Amino acid sequence: MPVTVPPMLLGAAVVFWGWQTGFLLLAVPLAVLVEAARALTWRLELSATDFHRLTDLCTLLIVVSGIYLFSTTGTARTVDGPRAMTLLFQWLPVLLFPLIASQLYSTSGKVPLTAFFWALRRQAARAPETRPGSVDLGYLYFALCILASSAANRRTLEFYAGLCVLAGWALWPWRSRRFSPLWWIPMLGLAALAGYAGHVAVHRAQQVVEQTVFDYIFSMVRGDADPFRVTTAIGQLGRLKLSDRTVLRVDHSAGLRLPFLLREASYDVYNSPAWLASGALFSAVQPEADGETWKFAAARNPAQHVTVSAYLNRGRGILSLPGGAFQIDRLAVVGVQRNRLGAVRVEEGLGLVTYTTQFASDNPLDGPPVDTDLHVPPREAAVVDRITAELGLAGASPTEKVEAVAAYFRRNFRYSTWRGERPRRESALEEFLLNSRAGHCEYFATATTLLLRAAGVPARYAVGYSVQEWSRLEQRYIVRARHAHSWTLAYVDGAWRDVDTTPPVWADSEQHDASFFEPVRDLWSFVTFLFSRWRWSEDETGIGRHVAWLLIPLVLLLVWRLYSRRRVGRDKAISRVPVAIARPGQDSEFYLITERLHAAGLARRDDEPPSHWIERIQANDLAPILSLHNRYRFDPAGLTQSERASLKSQSAAWLRDHERDSTEATAAGPRHD
Amino acid sequence: MKRLLYRWFSSFSAFQYRLDRRFTRAGSLALGVVGAAIVIGLDTNRTVGYQVFTLVLAFVVLSAVCSVVFRGRFTARRILPRFASAGVPVTYRLAITNLSGWRQEGLVLLEELTDPRPSFEEFVTAREPGEERRNWFDRQVGYPRWAWLVSQRRGAVIAPRPLPPLAAAGETEVTLEITPLRRGHLRFQGVTIARPDPLGLVHALKSIALPQSLLVLPKRYPMAEIRLAGTRKYQPGGVALASTVGDSEEFVSLRDYRAGDPMRRIHWKSWARVGRPVVKEYLDEFFVRHALILDTFTSHLGDPVFEEAVSVAASVAVSMQTQESLLDLMFVGPEAYCFTAGRGLAHTEQLLEILACVEPCRDKPFRSLQHAVIDRLDSLSGCVCVLLGWDDARQELVRQLEALGTPTRVLVVGARGTVDRLPAYVHGLEVGRIAEGLACL
Repeated sequence: MPVTVPPMLLGAAVVFWGWQTGFLLLAVPLAVLVEAARALTWRLELSATDFHRLTDLCTLLIVVSGIYLFSTTGTARTVDGPRAMTLLFQWLPVLLFPLIASQLYSTSGKVPLTAFFWALRRQAARAPETRPGSVDLGYLYFALCILASSAANRRTLEFYAGLCVLAGWALWPWRSRRFSPLWWIPMLGLAALAGYAGHVAVHRAQQVVEQTVFDYIFSMVRGDADPFRVTTAIGQLGRLKLSDRTVLRVDHSAGLRLPFLLREASYDVYNSPAWLASGALFSAVQPEADGETWKFAAARNPAQHVTVSAYLNRGRGILSLPGGAFQIDRLAVVGVQRNRLGAVRVEEGLGLVTYTTQFASDNPLDGPPVDTDLHVPPREAAVVDRITAELGLAGASPTEKVEAVAAYFRRNFRYSTWRGERPRRESALEEFLLNSRAGHCEYFATATTLLLRAAGVPARYAVGYSVQEWSRLEQRYIVRARHAHSWTLAYVDGAWRDVDTTPPVWADSEQHDASFFEPVRDLWSFVTFLFSRWRWSEDETGIGRHVAWLLIPLVLLLVWRLYSRRRVGRDKAISRVPVAIARPGQDSEFYLITERLHAAGLARRDDEPPSHWIERIQANDLAPILSLHNRYRFDPAGLTQSERASLKSQSAAWLRDHERDSTEATAAGPRHD
Repeated sequence: MKRLLYRWFSSFSAFQYRLDRRFTRAGSLALGVVGAAIVIGLDTNRTVGYQVFTLVLAFVVLSAVCSVVFRGRFTARRILPRFASAGVPVTYRLAITNLSGWRQEGLVLLEELTDPRPSFEEFVTAREPGEERRNWFDRQVGYPRWAWLVSQRRGAVIAPRPLPPLAAAGETEVTLEITPLRRGHLRFQGVTIARPDPLGLVHALKSIALPQSLLVLPKRYPMAEIRLAGTRKYQPGGVALASTVGDSEEFVSLRDYRAGDPMRRIHWKSWARVGRPVVKEYLDEFFVRHALILDTFTSHLGDPVFEEAVSVAASVAVSMQTQESLLDLMFVGPEAYCFTAGRGLAHTEQLLEILACVEPCRDKPFRSLQHAVIDRLDSLSGCVCVLLGWDDARQELVRQLEALGTPTRVLVVGARGTVDRLPAYVHGLEVGRIAEGLACL
């Protein structure tokens, strides 16, 4: 059975990889190096330690390259650009080339398994007599080249054809000799056809799955606001609990008047317990010339600005904007869309966006009121009308109506995230307005919106975040998931105003429920944010640019390690005499005695222990010398200086006493056992 | 939890065994590529790794389909040697007969040994050498221990052997070489004839039951004979025990029969002449008899120290000249055993056979061995003790032997670093450096 790669196959795979990945200029010399090993006769004599170093070096190269790619590919503008991991995989044939080259050009022709596993290295160090074995990397490197080629994502027929040819080439030596090639060729063709049909089917299946499931799951995980529908927790039992996770970071040079509201979306149709956005289709916003400025309306004066940092999920998301936003600056995304209800959606952005929003007192982002902004659902109409009548809002101005409603809630209601009992007959909102008079922001916002509508003031339900926490660690405002908030937009004096009737104590209430580990989590979140900001930074002077320089000393180290190895000829390697190994005690003077006895015709037999030998030749006076010699030769502790001197002097004395042919004996010198 | 892990390891081992038999090396590599391509090509928009996946999967599936039917019929006959030795390659022959009516070629022979998976009890109680140095996860989960137990119980690894072409109704004989990994019985279960598919990825299999066993003798080390300064001792068994050992051939006299004299000593002619039973008397009951005492008291299954001690005992047994003397091998297993080898009784290879099957004694105290030795001490000229440690009980045995004037040589086998501080008259042998230690004797 064949075990080695057939000639030219490895070189062809490397060239194929270069062709597909665009590294053809690099691949050709590598392929020549790979195939030249068959023609060249010299080999490097690499020990297991050398292979360990080479493997470590390859690992280091992969890690450094990974860091480099991870840091530099962060500037890829589109989500469809190659990821760092994919690029790293494309590079693997180069990064692991030292290993395959060392195998091809080494006398052993294989790489010891200890090179790949630390556990085996430790085991080999503990018990040198156990040899874990070696592995031929030929076919593995071939497979790696093929898979790395696939990472280049060149969707051409040439790729698949090349793949089939290389696979057939690799399989040819393994074919069963029992069957004629006339069997083998149709089977290969059939497999190629089946593979082609299979990969078309797999790709289409993925597209279907992506459309239906993938986005849905991610949207669930990410929790971005849905600009068309929001389901409130109105009517749900138990305690409402949200996460401590930091979702937004807000910078404002002049300081904010807290609480500061950042809106994600607003809705106009209430269908308990959900709010819906009617006719809220998105339309694209054209960027300014710099590609990062997005205007929704003409500039206002005076205007304020606030800078927000937010993570995007796969480059998409709904922006959190202050009321009255008319322009966004430094927003590095490909597409921005808005709807008539003031929601702004971005597409194909980076993982983290930091944008500055300019805003004014009026609300140019929101469309003018329509009939639905005055609609009260029939189910809630009775209770809402009753309270409106109680408040005596008829005849008041819109501003007075808003203040009256706000005062009504301030006086008569309290904040609570707990709800224990389900009302028997009333709706949840009716229960809130008439009985419990306690609830969370969704109750307040919904009730306020409906009351204002009943009073003739156009109103919408808005969701977003309330900025209220200053982080001393980050020196900016941070917004946590639990700061998610809802409030009312009221159309007063020709503009949409934020009306938040939720009692201000809600922030303290949420803070009270904060996790014990919140500081640790904040620190981690900050570190992650700094890293993400660096990673997604568009600053070309980032250190990622310089990581490549780290590769140079590593490659030089590799070249030095390889070049400093002693080179041997292949033919010599086969017929060479065993390499002399320095053994302890080989300079023992006892060998002079053995030479002397050998010359005297009293040589030791090969299978005879020295102790038996001296007994046989009746040289019992050698016993103490032999004892010292054995200890010098085999005892790991060795001899002390005095014992060593004793061995030398006793041997010299014995040689003097048995002087016969000293010149011949001493000329022979020490030798091995 | 342990039982769940055991079942998982057991199932995984069985799966791996079937995979190894069913797939050729190229097939295994193809499976690996399929797995890697799944990872690379998981997102079909990012890479075209899924094209590699589907192509290689198509190869494997086609090969598997071609391997469903294999209409060969075979018989097999295995010719094993009488013994093998642990660590020493041994060859044997296997004859395969093709019963099908057509020529068979391109076949591969796979030997099947008995299932090496340990029982749950073994898995739980065994301790892998050096397990205490492993990390917490490995110790708790125990996969390294499982792998070690399987390797211990496997006995040998036999590589697949390509078969020469088999003519219709013809027979071929192949020679296989194995290197037994441990002493004891190496049990064969059968042979499997494998036929690779045209692509050479998947085997079609045809199994033949052929249970056989090969006794693997312990590993032996070269060493000089241990010479003990003992004297001849009176042997109550006399000629009956060893007809030619000692001075057995020297006839002394005739005397009257005494109750208890064996029948074979009756001199029938004299009885006929004098009318009463007369027996022959020989000057024969004094000769040299040594004991080789093997310490079997270890709590761990497959303890490498114990295995090396058995090897040392085997080496001592082989090195001792039994033409002129007797050698008693004494150890405690389920009960105390004493086997005697020497001229006229048993040969050394029979001692090795016994040593090949010695198991650790985990249910008796060391004193049971001490009693067995002392009971036979009157007839012993000298003792060689192969011990697994140097604790009080073992020291007591040696002290007692010396106090009774029996020349004794003590060899203590231990792990590295445990035999450094032994008394001068005790010879320490480190696991991993046994040969070196025995050479210094």
